[in-house]
Amino acid sequence: MKMKLLIANRGEIALRIIRTCRKLGIRTVLVHSDPDRESLPVYYADERYPLGGSTPGETYLNIPKIIKAAVGTRCDAIHPGYGFLAEDASFVAACEENHLTFVGPPSEALEKLGNKLLARRTMHEAQVPIIPGSDGQLRDEDVAVEVAERIGYPVIIKAVYGGGGRGMRMARTSEEVRRFFRVTKLESASAFGRDVLYLEKQLIDPRHIEIQALADSRGKIVTLGERECSIQRRHQKLLEEAPSVALDEKLRERLCDAAKKGLAAARYVNAGTVEFLLDKSGRFYFLEVNKRLQVEHLVTELTTGIDLVEEQLKIASKEPLGMSQNDVHVNGWAINCRINAEDPKRGFSPSPGTVVRYHPATGPGIRVDSALYSGYTIPEFYDSMIAKLSSWGRNRDEAIRRMRIALDEMEIVGVPSTVALHMAIMNDDGFLQGNFDTSYLDHVLPRMNSALLEIERFAVAAGVASKMTLRSPPVQSQPSTSKSSWRSFARAKAVAQDWRAGW
Amino acid sequence: MRDYRAKVNGRVYSASVEEKASNHFRVELDGQVFEIELVGKNEVLDWSVRSGERAVRAQTRALQNDIVETWLAGVPFATAVQAVGLANYPVQTDRTVERRYGGEIRALMPGRVTSILVKETDYVEVGSPLLILEAMKMQNEISSPIVGRVKSIGIREGETVKKDALLMEIG
Repeated sequence: MKMKLLIANRGEIALRIIRTCRKLGIRTVLVHSDPDRESLPVYYADERYPLGGSTPGETYLNIPKIIKAAVGTRCDAIHPGYGFLAEDASFVAACEENHLTFVGPPSEALEKLGNKLLARRTMHEAQVPIIPGSDGQLRDEDVAVEVAERIGYPVIIKAVYGGGGRGMRMARTSEEVRRFFRVTKLESASAFGRDVLYLEKQLIDPRHIEIQALADSRGKIVTLGERECSIQRRHQKLLEEAPSVALDEKLRERLCDAAKKGLAAARYVNAGTVEFLLDKSGRFYFLEVNKRLQVEHLVTELTTGIDLVEEQLKIASKEPLGMSQNDVHVNGWAINCRINAEDPKRGFSPSPGTVVRYHPATGPGIRVDSALYSGYTIPEFYDSMIAKLSSWGRNRDEAIRRMRIALDEMEIVGVPSTVALHMAIMNDDGFLQGNFDTSYLDHVLPRMNSALLEIERFAVAAGVASKMTLRSPPVQSQPSTSKSSWRSFARAKAVAQDWRAGW
Repeated sequence: MRDYRAKVNGRVYSASVEEKASNHFRVELDGQVFEIELVGKNEVLDWSVRSGERAVRAQTRALQNDIVETWLAGVPFATAVQAVGLANYPVQTDRTVERRYGGEIRALMPGRVTSILVKETDYVEVGSPLLILEAMKMQNEISSPIVGRVKSIGIREGETVKKDALLMEIG
């Protein structure tokens, strides 16, 4: 595989892609924004290309700048990572026009699956079950009410071009359907540029299960098993595992079969994920296709031993898949905890800032994908996910035990993060018994709060002891500026020297 | 042996500390005993904290005045520590706790002001939504920690603000 690859992304996923490229001897060019000048992947890319600017619009979403970078540095291909331009059909078209290989599906497949109505129709025709809902776009409020009455409440009104948990609203009565129809239409027009809506039945507390697949340009498709992604906050995944406790062999086979049929119908090529909702009675419904490498791809890598980025690059270079379905073996269990720069004590508000200390967990069965380092300042312009902490075990129990240890050892100081939330989940009976669905998080938050209360006592004890260590001379002999943090640090340094002398 | 009063997240703890050996402490916190050791000093102080069966590693750093910040489980616990019975040693408690009526609203995080929900002369209570600040792709409602009338608004919708920037004055 001979290519020079431009990476149109940042942070941990840019680093993840670079790692595979270095393994394969592929040269890389990393485009970056001004705040990302000192980010970790910049050090490991063979070439760097500053885009100029800070906001996503000026940088990682700017198609002309990125195409210019790729052409100017003589790249053959572009890997979009996830988010940003990963599923943007106009970007793929721009790549095609400039003879750049897009590492991902062709633009026709992107368009077919990016339009939610078209995706539903494609799946339905391929005999993949879809959630009961409107056949096409909703002409007006009256039609919306008519469809809602036919399929039964609650229903969810969705923007056809929406995504990322936005542009959708649940309605329980005909009045709400009318009201939310108007609101969602306005919101969709302003957020996504188009105001086309449709409507589906709202399933009650389903599980979110997805099938990872690889499809080559000759139409061969293999599935790499499922991922369980039910633990979410505001439609954003927080924790993923593979396999899922909710599936038996038979159901797994039916889901994989449905995923294959759906991807084949969309003429899909490259790595893709078919998401399903699974209801309490074991019925499943097509949700959407993620047309990219996903954040949580690493749990599949841990259970199958397959390097998904390598497979993506091979498929993009028109190589046939080097494996058949019989070669894929799911081995053991893997869990991924997304560590976000969000403060669990302040309602998960984002917390960009400087990481004073970073020490990632290590040990048997532990993998950390992150672009953090001590002294790194997390910019406020981009996503809050700062690390993916994964564990692998021969079975679920071992993976959970390893994750608990890893969470204890994970040190991120200076920026509040979601470590405590995952600690609470790893000790929650519902999670341990595999008894959870997409409504799970509300149930575990009180548990996290009581765990934090217990931890608070440890924190106070250490704080008081450190006060004794930093004990200042009597106040009257010092000017008022003596209590600046700089002086405190100077005192702390002196104390540390005492400690070394004591050895 | 020394007694301290510690305040964190609105809760008050009483602690007595005994320095058993150099950098080795025994802390009794409202009846619960902790064995604490200073194990390192790098960017921050590193501590081993044990109580009963549980052992954790914590980091501390001194903030302004008498506030010590302890990091555990990925979150900071900013603790105001006051030595009991030491006169010339005034404690400065959490600023947000003291300033109940009037004051400045500053940005807790850098971001972009997407909408302002109050206007000058509006009366706000503790918890009244003041503005929406977008950071890390999330819309964050900033609510008032204080009571009073909005005296001045120093920002416009669409403006990008740095951390600690003055957003509003309430008097």
